[in-house]
Amino acid sequence: MLALVANRSVRPYLLLVIIAVALWIFDRGRGQFFTTATAFSVLQQFATIGPIALGLGLSMIIREFDLSVGGMLSLSGCIAVLTGAHYPALGVALAVLCGLVWGAFQGTMMVWLRLGSIGVTLGGLLTLGGLAYVVTGNLSISYPRMDVALAVNNPVLHVFSLRSLVALAAFLAAAFFMARTRAGRDVYATGSDRRAAMVAGVRTAAILPAVFACSGMLAALGGALLSYSLAAASGVALTDALVPATASAIIGGVSLTGGKGTPIGIVGGVLVLCLLSAGLNAIGTPPAVQDVVTGGVLLAVAIADAVDLDPRLFAMRRYWAEMFVRPAESVRSADTSAAE
Amino acid sequence: MTDQVLPTALRYPWRVPLPHSRRGRTLVAIRVAALLALIAIAAATPGFFTAVSLFSLLNTTSFIGCVAVGMTFITLSGNIMSFALSVTLSTSGIVFMAVLPWGLPIAFLVALAFGAGLTGIQGVAVGYFRANPVIVSMAALALITGGATLITQGQGVYPQGDAAAALKGRLLGIPMPLAAFILTVVLAQIVLSFTRFGRQLYMVGSNWRAALAAGLDPARIVLGAYIVAGLCTALAGILMAARYSSGDLELGLGYDYSAISAVLVGGTAISGGEGSAIRSLVGAFLIAVCQVLLLLHGFSTQIQYLAIGVIVLFVIMLQTLADAD
Repeated sequence: MLALVANRSVRPYLLLVIIAVALWIFDRGRGQFFTTATAFSVLQQFATIGPIALGLGLSMIIREFDLSVGGMLSLSGCIAVLTGAHYPALGVALAVLCGLVWGAFQGTMMVWLRLGSIGVTLGGLLTLGGLAYVVTGNLSISYPRMDVALAVNNPVLHVFSLRSLVALAAFLAAAFFMARTRAGRDVYATGSDRRAAMVAGVRTAAILPAVFACSGMLAALGGALLSYSLAAASGVALTDALVPATASAIIGGVSLTGGKGTPIGIVGGVLVLCLLSAGLNAIGTPPAVQDVVTGGVLLAVAIADAVDLDPRLFAMRRYWAEMFVRPAESVRSADTSAAE
Repeated sequence: MTDQVLPTALRYPWRVPLPHSRRGRTLVAIRVAALLALIAIAAATPGFFTAVSLFSLLNTTSFIGCVAVGMTFITLSGNIMSFALSVTLSTSGIVFMAVLPWGLPIAFLVALAFGAGLTGIQGVAVGYFRANPVIVSMAALALITGGATLITQGQGVYPQGDAAAALKGRLLGIPMPLAAFILTVVLAQIVLSFTRFGRQLYMVGSNWRAALAAGLDPARIVLGAYIVAGLCTALAGILMAARYSSGDLELGLGYDYSAISAVLVGGTAISGGEGSAIRSLVGAFLIAVCQVLLLLHGFSTQIQYLAIGVIVLFVIMLQTLADAD
């Protein structure tokens, strides 16, 4: 049981169960939460945040951070809406291709010019955001194919939709790839210790562009399908998706220090966030509460993962002991530790 | 004796300190070439030097400039950027407007303290616990946005009367925001160049462990950098609220990106430890010049967004040249 709790990828599911039970207790037989409608709306939200969270999570697993996903989300939506009027699949394909090319470009620049990922992807975020404004002419453009919009969102098997099924398929593929292939192992190795991985023969210079290309593709896929489902696209987006995506990757067990976390864990993290928001909505709390909860979780995890947390806590405990508890004894122990 | 006391730059002001490495000099050459090209384009653009004076250009950048100076401290301290300065600006403006009935000086001080407090909490997390600065700022963005929306019910604050009129006037013939911006840049540069805190900030930003080994307290210095960032941002928030006579959560929308663009275009290194407040002033000014030039040549707003994005990306890529020494 303890091993289960300690497993980073299982933790989000435990959290999910706890939230579900809490909602059930709150609901108390009115049957408002546990309907197929709630499950459907949770999965629809999952389809929006999931792909971005997966891409971001992959970049965090190699100890980088892809800020550009927000820009890619809006640009790919615009590309898909503009080119997919006749052949919707073509629009998605072009958007994903754009994500692939841009992600690979960013990764290559990082390797080639030895730059940090945050700087390059910050430039990418601003450039992609600008491009999205340019291709739409600074307007909100509508997608003429309502049939596609409906097809993307129509319930399949009561709770799924085409959009959420695509997102789930992407997660399954990523989970298989990360757990069962050599390249997946190499990705983890790159994230835990890049130099050691390089010495061990991992081609880290190829892993970086590949992971960023995946991240770009996933963001583009999510953006294209989201714009189809909304039947509209515009240049305005940027960080709106970034914060929930980061939060769900972190809740899903991805470590900020790299090398830890799985796609299955990220699924759990996204579901936790979506269920929480659906539950809070159903209770009738304002949407701002969800911001506060997301922010609180992010801050807590950031501090829990912080480099100097343990020494600071130790120093604080010691200070506490010296000041208030047993002054004489703690001073003596401080002396002996100094002598060592 | 004076030879040893005065820094080289003051003893030989005509000597331009060029980097020693070849790549570093290439970087300087590219920067100078880009500047000359910009001046040439500006000179070739009819109406640039007549219709748009330097002064009014600076005037338009004063709000973003204040935030950029604050962001400079965070970037210099090695913590890249903060996503939460825009909401700090908006909420400081709201606090200022809410406290204004008690008098202008009190409102001014309370708003400044509020902004410094908001960023100071992030500074504790980033400095003392060494939490990831980007994640901390994202968390702060969500927390402050959510909290402020809950408290204000999403409504703006519109005070009765015009107690903030003094902040809308002119100081020695200069519009108040611009005067505040110039004052901020000068003060920030003095702090960076001539105080112990400033020099220590550079050291912490370029190498945390070396600073620790040299006996500094890097955590306290990072906290200081965040507090300064909060003060600058709150100042911008106060002036914006005074100008629009309202405190509103929309006030600072998108300012994080404008500010970090100005910081990076000015040539401050995103890895920390190199840069200055004056560079951020130059960066904000250059971006404004580019925008005006594009506008005068008939390009639309969306092209301006794209151009700024491409310039920032290019500038970040160029910084690899500076790391060669």
